[in-house]
Amino acid sequence: MTNLPVKPTLWHALRQNPVTLKELRSRMRGRRAFVVLTVYLLFMSLFLALIYLAYLSTTGPGGSGARDAGKIMFTAVLGMQIFLVIFIAPAFTASAISGEKERQTYDLLRTTLLSPQAFVLGKLLSALSYVVLLILASIPLQSISFLLGGLSLEELLISQALILVAAVTFALYGLYCSARMKTTLAAIVAAYGGALFFTVGTPLVAVLVTLITGAAFITTGTVSWVTEATLTYLGLTLSATNLPATLILSETILQQENTLFFYAQSIRGHSVWLFSPWPLFILVYALAAWLLYRACVRYVRKISD
Amino acid sequence: MSNIIEIEGLSKRYGDLVALNDLNLTIEEGAVVGFIGPNGAGKTTTMRILTTLLRPSSGTARVAGYDVAQNPDAVRRAIGYMPDFFGVYDDMKVWEYLDFFAACYDIPPATRHGMIDDLLGLVDLGHKKEEYVEGLSRGMKQRLCLARTLTHDPQLLILDEPASGLDPRARIEMRELLRELQNMGKTIFFSSHILSEIADVCTSIAILEAGNLVAHGNIEQIQRQLRANRTIHVRLLGEREPLVNLLQASPGVVHLQTDDLPADSLRFDFSGDDVALSGLIQTAVSHHIPLVSFREEEHDLEDVFLQLTKGVVN
Repeated sequence: MTNLPVKPTLWHALRQNPVTLKELRSRMRGRRAFVVLTVYLLFMSLFLALIYLAYLSTTGPGGSGARDAGKIMFTAVLGMQIFLVIFIAPAFTASAISGEKERQTYDLLRTTLLSPQAFVLGKLLSALSYVVLLILASIPLQSISFLLGGLSLEELLISQALILVAAVTFALYGLYCSARMKTTLAAIVAAYGGALFFTVGTPLVAVLVTLITGAAFITTGTVSWVTEATLTYLGLTLSATNLPATLILSETILQQENTLFFYAQSIRGHSVWLFSPWPLFILVYALAAWLLYRACVRYVRKISD
Repeated sequence: MSNIIEIEGLSKRYGDLVALNDLNLTIEEGAVVGFIGPNGAGKTTTMRILTTLLRPSSGTARVAGYDVAQNPDAVRRAIGYMPDFFGVYDDMKVWEYLDFFAACYDIPPATRHGMIDDLLGLVDLGHKKEEYVEGLSRGMKQRLCLARTLTHDPQLLILDEPASGLDPRARIEMRELLRELQNMGKTIFFSSHILSEIADVCTSIAILEAGNLVAHGNIEQIQRQLRANRTIHVRLLGEREPLVNLLQASPGVVHLQTDDLPADSLRFDFSGDDVALSGLIQTAVSHHIPLVSFREEEHDLEDVFLQLTKGVVN
């Protein structure tokens, strides 16, 4: 038996990653994957058709009614994508490594020449590929909104970029929980806990902070423009850690200020440059994804003490 | 022959518990070594250190010349490991399972096809190639796992209880497979509680108790070390008194026993060598003592194990 080294190019490594091939083979085998995809698309199509028909019955074809219907349809598909990314992606990855431990196959893999990087990437890609398949499959449905005139190309591209970056980060977070925890149950609880915190927890913290600082301002009287500008920056930064908030704020800024990046706003008579949160979201989540990936590799590489 | 495993002063502690205590052990290339010890003796701990899965507290372990802590990849390339408890991917076909692990060992796709056929033939699973792993019996899964350890053609096989939980037929098949691997030139280091199996297959044994190595070498060598005297059983026609008198006067006879034995039998311990023993038989014959049988008591591995171990568990 010969034992020749494999060319270590990135594309080759991704294409030939044995973990990805094995996982995809198992996941896509049989009817389950195709049934889930079909049901998902049928459900989405039905939902969008109902929205469209409801708008047609009230406003008739064409005009602003169609644009509003397009907008609502886009938001509905986006909502489903957010759900997939925040709750399905980590669920897929949370069992990826802990499942190997529970199945007693982890040690078998760790005594092979498979590198921790290849193992983590293989698990990530295989879990993400199905989520990405669901997201990509829903893009034609989103493009209906595009045809109806309720959606610009920028909105479509930015929303999909945000969804993809969030999908990678949440999937890596699930993988990190899976690498750290001994059982899949613990990993899933930790993954959902984190996903919930970054979806519902951060807006709650923001509301609480706003209420507390608002009360403080009321008691102290006037607020300087510097304080208000600082708080606005803090709010925008905080929103850049939350996917729904980033999508809503970036869309609002695009609609109201007609900009994708920066805009000037008057705060108590002073002109202040503010920013759309989506680039910061991509930066923060990409950084988090990189750190989580490194942490996963470290845990997989670690030799038991 | 060079040593494929070299363990020096290896210790593993979990808090106050000493799982391995200053273990020193060398295994030659091509040897088949049985690793014996009660549960909790430290066998699996030793194997996990050798397979780069566990960090030792102190000491060094080298496999095929590579330090397990410094060069884990080189060690992994040299070993095939089968743990005591292992899982299989039930939703894969038999050939896919081997293909997956071959890929994990960087075996190029072009060479995998033939290699998988060879391995399945070796473990007698060629007819199951297209079936799902889920449908295999426990013995077949065990053999498939053994085939997995061979995908990268390692020099050394480390097998932790390879025959545990198998029915007698599957155990015999596993034993035959180990013999075949030995003939292929593989060094095999395996643990088992089935001592007769170890005695059948192994060229040497290592006995571990409470983290300490209590014996290492081939079985006969250890037996000789354990027993300064050999025990001889004699049966004769008629009265045994003439023989008793002869033996009492003979040098080398240290402990003569007739109690609890039939009237035509006796037993004695003899400290002399084969020449002295042969002389003793000739003397008995020349004295017209009617011997029916004159045989040396054989000690099996179980006796050796029981003599060397005290049942101490960490």
